[in-house]
Formats: sequence, structure tokens, C-alpha cells
Amino acid sequence: MATERIAFLTQMVEVLTSTVSFGERLNNMVHLLARYLKVDLTLYFGLDKGKETLVLNLSSQGPVPPHLRLEFPLGQGLVGEVASTGKITIVQRSQPGVLAANQDLEKLHPAFVTLAGFPVADDNFFYGVLLVADRQERQFTPGERQSVQVANLMLAGTLRQALLQEEAKKRIAELSVLFEVGKALSSTVELDELLERIVTTTAKVITARGAALQIIDRTTNEVRVSSQYGQIPLACPSPAAIPATTATSGGVPHLQGQEINAEGQTHYFLAVPLTFKGPLQGALCVYDKFAPNGDYLPFDPENRQLLYTMAGLIVNAIENALTFKQVESLAARNERMVRNLTVLQVISRALLTTVQEDRLLEIILQGLTLERGLGFDRAVVLMLDEANQELKGIKGAQHSPKLHGLPLFEALLAPLAEEVKVEDWRIPLRPDQGALALTVLQKRPYHVQGPVLESSRSTAIPPEFTAPEFFVVPLVVKDRATGALMVDNRTTGRPLEEEPLHVLEMFSTQAGLVLENAHLYSTIEANNRELLLIRERMLESDRLAALSSLASGMAHEIRNPLVSIGGFARRISKLVDEDSPLRGYVEVIQEEVSRLEKLLREILDFTGENLSFYADHDLNKLLEDTLLLVQRDLEACGIKVVKELSALPRLHCDDRQIKQVLYNLFQNACQAMHQGGALTIRTYPVEKEDGIYEAVAITDTGGGIPLEVLHNIFNPFFSTKDYGTGLGLAIAQRIVSRHYGQVEVNNELGKGVTFIVTLPVAKYCLVKQGGQGVALASTLKAPKGGGR
Amino acid sequence: MKKILVADDEMSIRLLYSEELKEEGYEVYLAANGREALEIVDTIPLDLVILDIKMPEMDGIEALRQIKERRPDLPVVLSTAYGEYRQDFATWASDEYLVKSSDLDDLKSTVKRYLKE
Repeated sequence: MATERIAFLTQMVEVLTSTVSFGERLNNMVHLLARYLKVDLTLYFGLDKGKETLVLNLSSQGPVPPHLRLEFPLGQGLVGEVASTGKITIVQRSQPGVLAANQDLEKLHPAFVTLAGFPVADDNFFYGVLLVADRQERQFTPGERQSVQVANLMLAGTLRQALLQEEAKKRIAELSVLFEVGKALSSTVELDELLERIVTTTAKVITARGAALQIIDRTTNEVRVSSQYGQIPLACPSPAAIPATTATSGGVPHLQGQEINAEGQTHYFLAVPLTFKGPLQGALCVYDKFAPNGDYLPFDPENRQLLYTMAGLIVNAIENALTFKQVESLAARNERMVRNLTVLQVISRALLTTVQEDRLLEIILQGLTLERGLGFDRAVVLMLDEANQELKGIKGAQHSPKLHGLPLFEALLAPLAEEVKVEDWRIPLRPDQGALALTVLQKRPYHVQGPVLESSRSTAIPPEFTAPEFFVVPLVVKDRATGALMVDNRTTGRPLEEEPLHVLEMFSTQAGLVLENAHLYSTIEANNRELLLIRERMLESDRLAALSSLASGMAHEIRNPLVSIGGFARRISKLVDEDSPLRGYVEVIQEEVSRLEKLLREILDFTGENLSFYADHDLNKLLEDTLLLVQRDLEACGIKVVKELSALPRLHCDDRQIKQVLYNLFQNACQAMHQGGALTIRTYPVEKEDGIYEAVAITDTGGGIPLEVLHNIFNPFFSTKDYGTGLGLAIAQRIVSRHYGQVEVNNELGKGVTFIVTLPVAKYCLVKQGGQGVALASTLKAPKGGGR
Repeated sequence: MKKILVADDEMSIRLLYSEELKEEGYEVYLAANGREALEIVDTIPLDLVILDIKMPEMDGIEALRQIKERRPDLPVVLSTAYGEYRQDFATWASDEYLVKSSDLDDLKSTVKRYLKE
């Protein structure tokens, strides 16, 4: 007996330590046990993963046929009983209830008499039950029982090793899946291809016959199959149909099931949702796990776990790809912005090459229509005519391929290849006059397109100038709209996008500024020219005045002695006899003195009279022009100018002389207010008996003229000034009286002085032109002393 | 006999005017500047004044103003070497403005016009 036992255990150890597969070892062990116990049959029932059922795994008669599925729930039959008690149990067929409880065993071993169950377990774990069946009624010696227990320990050890190996294999498979997926994720392939790879890898690892990935489109909420692999025998379950978590799922949300098709073939499926840090994005579904022999199998919990992990990876990949797409589109946008800014910078450089309005307009239009510029098909510049409250077409151009090869900077400076005639456009500045009027009124850009086209286009724009859509932007300088730009893509029909509108806005700011500057520059240039001219004339009249003053002095000095000489000569001639030779001498003295006196009269008494040039002028304009001349002095003294100008009829006068009057009055005011003050200039019409006059009142806040000098202010020899000729007011008065007007003084001591110059709108007068007297007709009668 | 005051800073002019006017039958008083002229206006019941403009101490313009203040009825004839200001001075309060000349006929006829009665 003992020899048999030792031989049995030795054989068991040999099997245990052999290098054959675990399945083989286990089969051998069960076979050895049957032989040693001399029984008909030994079977091994393993506890399944759910730990609720014991399933037949091994038989001493060879491999268990697949169709023979034999299982006992925990507590049922001998096998179930041993599994729940953990004790060796031996029963006989004749015992009550034994046959009924173990009925299933009849399929394998009919007419069994003895059944013995041995638990297969080690110190930590219960694996299953070893069942021994025999047709004889028989007992087991304590030695046999002990040997079976030892053999069961070896069986348990082998089972444990097999489990560990299986586990290790799965881990390796999982790791290789992850490695595959990781490889795919880290490669820079397109999202679609990446998803394809993940789906394929998933199917292969799980050994599924097919797999499909469904994605929910975030904008339309439609579900579409984005990638698939192998055979898809069933329709994909809707992602929304997958329950969140189930009690039996072990925390993994999934939908699992099977369907039998028309040919009677059973198909299995397993689906997990794609959710990751957010809403449901889709579902990953696998079909028909296949066994090595070609059968289809249902999916197990490990498959669920793996599938769920893969779903997470897919979501990650999608999110990464989306982020990448966003980054890519941002980068593309940046690139466009950089290009636009570069274009704007080049245009800006070109705009700096000139201050001429015409040239600037050409550069602006080139910038808008050049391919390498902002690339619009057509562009029009309009400027605001403030006096008439309307927008005027200034210049238009359309894209021309002629300058295609040139660098942008050179092309910008080239003449316009194709102009568009817009000079007769006149758009009244009213809200009902369409987008162009609105863009200026509201100082905001408009993108006009589609059905609003008709209502938004002014009737002032010719109908042939139509486009399905166009942009208008205002030219704004210092918060004031000075004009507008209009662009379209009529020729190519390219749609206008929002982004170019922003660029156009940036461009318009600069265009508005340079055009305004050019305008200011030309105004300054014109003013400068006039200023120089007036300065020359001023100098000339100053020289004349000085000369006149000198001559007057000389006349005084010469006239007095001449009067004495001549006068006494006359007296002498009266006393001398008619025939005395002295009489002749005295008469010579008398005649020579008369000749000298006549000469003095001719030269001096009419100084300046032949310098008049009369024409019709606007007094307000003359005022503004003269103010420009003294502006610097006024600013230097800190004098504020207040203008209250009324509309006036045109004045018949010598503009240079009237400007001289105003200039002198302004200079006086300046000198009176060298510590600062206010200069109020008022113009108004005056109706008098003999006709219409216009008046300009110039008021300063210089404290007024002291009474003791007031009567002297028009005296040509009087001056309180330290410099100058002192003739300012005298000359002013002389000029005004020559125009048949008058100068009044309104002196308010402690406050200031108002000089009021009143001039007739037109007056009968003689003007010497080229030595010939020309009479100008007038409705006014010549005033007393006015005739010359 | 009508009394005429001649105010002029030039002694030769004063002499010439007084000789000529005396010959015409007037009583002639003389002053070398505005201040002296005013003193005579204050003391003598004059019938006419002939005033030069540019004089030392007080000029003819100031003298004219003060004479007209005291005796608005007294005719004042300005006799000056400055012909070019005739128009400007016309707005002032003088009765006549004459440019000095060696031919005194103008002066004498003007005086006669004011004093004919």
C-alpha cells in the first residue's frame, strides 16, 4: 500500500515539475488520481469567476467535449456542498436525495454508486472540487484520503500557477495594446487614421471579429460611425442607450448582449460610452469574440475593462486632435494677421513718401486693390463736403493685373492702372441715403450684403456700380468723420469676410489721418504763401509810412522857411517901384518859392493814393486772414479770441488796405493785453440813411485808454509805444476814411476799448488804375468832402 | 477893430502874418506856443485864432481842444505845413484847415469870410 502511495506521489511531483503546459499537467494529475484510487472517473470542477457556480473543467477520461457543459451552483449536489462546506464528503447512490441532487452526473457516468468530493484549496484560496465516482460501493482509507489531500495541494498549486500565467498573459496583452495605442497617439497622423488604428488594435486585442466607433457630432447632435474594423453583424447600439453604471459591471458603464440572426447564428456585442471630462461623445462597440476553434463567444469583464480604457484613450485622442486643430487654425489666423500687418506697414511706409493729396489717394487705392495689398477688386474714396453736407466721390480704382510682378512697395508708388470714374458722385448726408451716408453719420463700418442691398445703396451711386456685397468704412480723424472708403469684390465674386473688414478699419484710420494731414499741409502751405506776401506788403507799407513820416517832417521844416521867404518877398515887391531893377529880383524869388511849394504839394499831399485796388471782398474772410497773421502774437500773450461773425454782403474795398486796418487794430489790442485777456471780434450789418454799411467791432480787455491820451490816439505824431512808427491808428483812420467809412472808439476805463470800424458796402469813388481815373457807379451819394 | 491871434513857433511866420493882417486892418496878437495862445484867449476878447499845429510845450491840437472848451463860438483856423492830413483833421473841431503857403491870399480871404459880419 505504502509503496503504491509513494509511487503515486512521486509521479504527481514529476508531473508538477514537468515542463509541459499547465493544461496538460492538470489533465495528467486528474488521470493519476483515478489510477491511484482505482476508481472509474475523477472530475475537477472549478469555481468560476463570479464565485457562484462550479464548472466541469477536467476529466480523467480526456478533454471535456465542448457541448457537455456541466455545472453546479454553490450548495447544490455533492460538488456544490463540498464547495460550500470545504470538507471531504462521500455519499452512496442508495442514500436518500443523492441521485436527485447529482442527476447531471448521469450524463457523464451513468449508474455511479459511490461519489466522493475533495476540496481543492491551498492556505489562501479555494479553487474547486475534485469529484471521484465509482460503480462499486467503496470506502477510502485514511492513507488514500491523505494522499488525495496532498495531491489536491499539488493540483491547487498548479491551478494557481496557471491562473498567474493567464493573468500575466493578459497583462502583457494589455500592455502591448497600450503600447500600440501609445505609438499611434504619439505619431502625428490625422485624427481619422488615429481612430482607425485604435479601433483595429482594440478589436485585435480583444479578439473580436468586428469593432465600430460612433461619434456624436457636437454641432448637429447626429451620430455617425467614424471608423470600423472587421465584420459588423449587428446595428451599433445608440450611445445614449448605454446605461451609466450597473451593479454587475464593476463600475464600468457598458451595454452587452446577443442576438440571433436569420441563419440561427448567435452574435455577441459589447459597447462602452465615450465620455471623458464632459458630455457623451459617442460609443465604442465590439462584436463576436472568437475562440481559437472559430466559435463565437460572449465578452468577459476583462474585455469590458479594456474596452473602457480604449474608449478613454479615444476621447483623449479626439480632444487632443481638436485642440491641435484649434491651435492650427489660430496659427493660420496669426499668420494672416502678420501678413496683413506687414501689408499695412508697407502701405504706411509708402504713404510717408508724400504729402500731396493726389499722390496719397493713388497710394491708398493701390493698397486696397493690389493683389499683394489688401486685394479688393474695387475701391472708392469719398470725402465729406461739410459746407454742402454731402459725400463727394474723389477717386476710384479697380484691380489690375498689370502690376502683378512688382514688389508691393514699388507697386504702391506706381500710377493707377485702372481708374473708376466716381467724381460726380454726390451722396447727401442723411440716414436714408444708404450705407455710405450711415457709415459717416455713425462713424462705424458696414458690411452690406444680400437683400438689404437695395435699401442700403444711395440713389446717387450709378446703378452700374453694383456688387452683391460691399464694405464701407468711415475715415475718422480725432473723432470726426472726414470721408469714407468703399470696397467690393465684384469682378471675382469672392465673398467678403469679417477679418478683412477689421484690416480695412485699421487701414482707414491711417488713410483718414494722412489725407487730413495732407489737407492741413496744403492749407498751411497756402497760408504761408499768403503770409509771406502780406508780410512783404506790410514791410512795404511800413517803409512807405516811415518814408511818408520823414517826408512830412521835412515838408514842415522846408515849408515854414519857404512861407517866410516867399511871404516877405511878396511884401518887398509891393514896396519896390515898378521900374526898379530890384523888382525883377524879388519876383524871381517869389516865383521860385511858388515852384518849390507846388512841388511839395504834388509830392507829399497825395502820398499813397495811387496804390488802391478795389474789388468785392468778404469782410469776415479778411478778418480770418488777418487773424492768422497775428495768431502767434495772440497766443504768445495768452489772448483768447472770441468771434461773433454775422453773414455780410460783399464789401467793395481794397482788401490789402482793410487788412492793414484790422492788422493795426489787432496789434494795438495785443499790446494793450500783453498780460493776456480776451479779444472779441464782432461783425454786423448797419443800415444808415445813405445806404448799407457793415461794421467790425474789436474789443479788448486791456484796461482802456487813459483819458489824458484818448484824444491823441489818431494823432500821427503821438505814440505810447516804445517802438514802431506810432502811425498805426492814424494810418488806420486814413484808410477807413478813404473808404468813406469811420473809426469809432468806445473807451471803458478799467475794462477795455472797442474800436468800431464802419464801412459802406459800396460807394461812389474814383480809383486810379494805371494813371486813368475810373468811376464806379453806386447807389450811394458821395459824402461831404469825399470828392477828389 | 477885430482882434486876431496868431500862434506859431516860427518867429518869421508870426512876423509875416502879423504884417499882412495888420495891413488888412486887424488888431493882431502873437503867441509862440499853445500855452501862450490860451493865456491870450483867456484875457483878450478875440474874434479869430490862427493856430499852427506843431509847436513846443503845447501843440495846436491840444490848444484847439482847450480853446473850443472855453470859447466854442471862436473860429479857429489851423495853418499847418502838413497838407496830407487835411482829411483826417477835417473831422476835428477846427473850423478851417489851411496848408501854409507864401501866397497869403487864401488865408486872408478865409479870415475875411469869418469876420465880415
